[in-house]
Amino acid sequence: MTSIFRRGELHSLAAPYALDALEPKEHKRFEKHLGRCEDCAAEVRALREDAVRLAWSTAAPAPAALRDRVLTAVRNTPQDPAPAAEPRERARAERPPSRARRSSFSPFLIPLASTTAAAALVVAALFGVQASRTQDRLDQERAQAREITHVLAAPDARAVTGRDAKGRGLGVVASASQRAAVVTGAGLGSPADDRVHQLWLMRPEGKPRSLGLLDGDTPLIATGLNPDATSLAVTVEPSGGSPQPTTAPVVQLALESLGFGE
Amino acid sequence: MEADELLVLVAGGDQKAFEDLYALVSGPVFGLVRRVVRDPAQSEEVAQEVLLELWRSAARYDPGRGTALAWVLTLAHRRAVDRVRSARAAGERELRMARRANGPAFDHVAEEVEAGLEREWVRRCLDRLTALQRQSVTLAYYDGYTYREVAERLSLPLGTVKTRMRDGLTRLRNCLGGVA
Ligand SMILES: [Zn+2]
Repeated sequence: MTSIFRRGELHSLAAPYALDALEPKEHKRFEKHLGRCEDCAAEVRALREDAVRLAWSTAAPAPAALRDRVLTAVRNTPQDPAPAAEPRERARAERPPSRARRSSFSPFLIPLASTTAAAALVVAALFGVQASRTQDRLDQERAQAREITHVLAAPDARAVTGRDAKGRGLGVVASASQRAAVVTGAGLGSPADDRVHQLWLMRPEGKPRSLGLLDGDTPLIATGLNPDATSLAVTVEPSGGSPQPTTAPVVQLALESLGFGE
Repeated sequence: MEADELLVLVAGGDQKAFEDLYALVSGPVFGLVRRVVRDPAQSEEVAQEVLLELWRSAARYDPGRGTALAWVLTLAHRRAVDRVRSARAAGERELRMARRANGPAFDHVAEEVEAGLEREWVRRCLDRLTALQRQSVTLAYYDGYTYREVAERLSLPLGTVKTRMRDGLTRLRNCLGGVA
């Protein structure tokens, strides 16, 4: 009886464990339990990802000196050998099935806020995608291309791309004077069946403004952008889109370096 | 490349891959450590230990047990919490003063564009928890208190705190909406 009771109590430690809130003894006991209890292992896995969101929201640029110190140390520090117990896991990690598709977005793998040089890459990406389109689609996109050219031709047109740690991001060419931007999504994947990716203009004052639905890698042209806009964000919404975002953004991109937000 | 792939390369001794990994995770690692530890010098020290540990123990990352990002930030969080607890146990005055100078949670973190919006969403979602759920989660995660300490501070039974923590995290997940 006591052992069942104790087991039950152990199960309830998943949340404090995921928050690193157990005392050392309990921590050890629960880790042992994790090896035997699939329910707890699964729960911890999920709760950990929630905690990551809490962590991610505290991100702040690390001091430059830290990078130098760490990289120097890395050059002089031997690595621990791999644990012998998990050869299967390693093999799986080396051949993840979904990666090939994502790597095709490599033009977007540019640090946030790199500007003019990125413009060429963004344009290449925008037009590169047309190869596999139908004639209808091409005509439609040629019209879009004129708009795009228009934005690009503006003397203050600048490009910016950014992506998060999961490879999701946005590429933007924008002109503050024209109050227009060409936006493409990268690495967003397709949302679930009855869901869409919706693009929002975020402003410090006032509600997010919908700029339309992002469809795969098709460029979206946004006009009449508010000069005080601070960033673009993409959320997953029910098909047809929503008047206001109903979920947290999957990606976001600051517009500061493009001449907005003043 | 994503953190998962980079970690595999890093495990094989690829220093270039480590630089890329550093670019991806140093901000979140440093920000999280600073949030928990508060003291700037100590934060840098702990962040350095964590980042170097990524290099040393990359081979221990097990994709079957979660994303690379979760692994990295779990490691960072644990080291930060260890530091803050041993400092607390030693009754370190300096740290307490730094905490006071830095004010309550959320206020002292400088606004940085990249994390700003995410921070805003997380804050909004935290606001939707009940006060006890929110306090249970943030006292543990951001301030490094054990759930026993949280129970004491909030004058709640242990069982209640465990439940509030789980409900709080689950509600947070729902609010943040399938994004993780
Ligand atoms: Zn269990």
